Amino acid sequence: MGRDQDGPAGDLAGWETQLRKGALSLAVLAILWSGRLYGLEILKRLDAEAGLAIPEGTIYPLLNRMKAEGLVASEWVEADAGHPRKYYSLTPEGRRRARDMAAGWRAFAAGLSGLLAPLDGDPR
Amino acid sequence: MTRDAGLAHLDAYLAQVQRHVRGLPDAEVREIVAELRAHVLDKVEGRVSPAAVEAAIAELGSPREIARLNITERVVARAEARRTPLSVLGGVVRLAGLSAYGLFAFLVSVLGYGSALAFLATAAVKPFAWDRAGLWITRNAPDDYIASWHLGITDNPRLGHEILGVWIIPIGIVAGLLAGWLTWRFNLFSLRLMGRRARRGR
Repeated sequence: MGRDQDGPAGDLAGWETQLRKGALSLAVLAILWSGRLYGLEILKRLDAEAGLAIPEGTIYPLLNRMKAEGLVASEWVEADAGHPRKYYSLTPEGRRRARDMAAGWRAFAAGLSGLLAPLDGDPR
Repeated sequence: MTRDAGLAHLDAYLAQVQRHVRGLPDAEVREIVAELRAHVLDKVEGRVSPAAVEAAIAELGSPREIARLNITERVVARAEARRTPLSVLGGVVRLAGLSAYGLFAFLVSVLGYGSALAFLATAAVKPFAWDRAGLWITRNAPDDYIASWHLGITDNPRLGHEILGVWIIPIGIVAGLLAGWLTWRFNLFSLRLMGRRARRGR
């Protein structure tokens, strides 16, 4: 809640942040779509591809919740790096959820695009 | 050796995390600590110096912060799964020490369930202690407008005026159940609020 910045510019930045965070769980499921990843990789791709720079410490509780909900599975893998890494992958239930959420997102975005269309042509 | 010093710094941090998340099942504690260890080692990309480790730790959050995020997540999920008043109250008690709001929610539950019990107990005792149980108004002097309220059983009924008589039984039962229900809903709301805050890293 609380606003970090004041003024119209701050409101806009805050609104964009909220918008992205609302899509966080969909973004995580989508990132895992093509294969297993460990926490830091998920964080990096969230930042690079979705502009979602979340506090690093929050990703593990989120993944833990998704695991409890049966959306992702995890396994420890001995890596070349010299320490084991915990990899996350989508379960069949997680793939189903990702597809359903994506459909919901696209339907919403299509509707909103229709609403926004008149904003393009009119320079007033 | 800077590598040894870096690893020692990481282990000291993880030991603190472990202390702060105590109370969670051992397997979960081990899992959290092992995953944070892997995270920091990946983050420093092979340069295990105290400075690099410190920078990675700073981005993760303090041991207290890490504990708050992880414990809140699990406690809220558990209470959500079984929304009974007792399991919800258990969640509030568990989170009381982790944030200012947690403490506030705990104090409100003590007050809420306390008054619920007082109403119900007074109603239950009334038939057996007719003169002494009820809702009392006591004044220090007959014309003193500063009155104090007293609900329950009094040792000295002559000092006050009992205002509800037999009505304390239905009113006490309804007020007690209402106070209990409201406290339960408030606790559920509080847990969800703390869960949302933790998810945002706050």
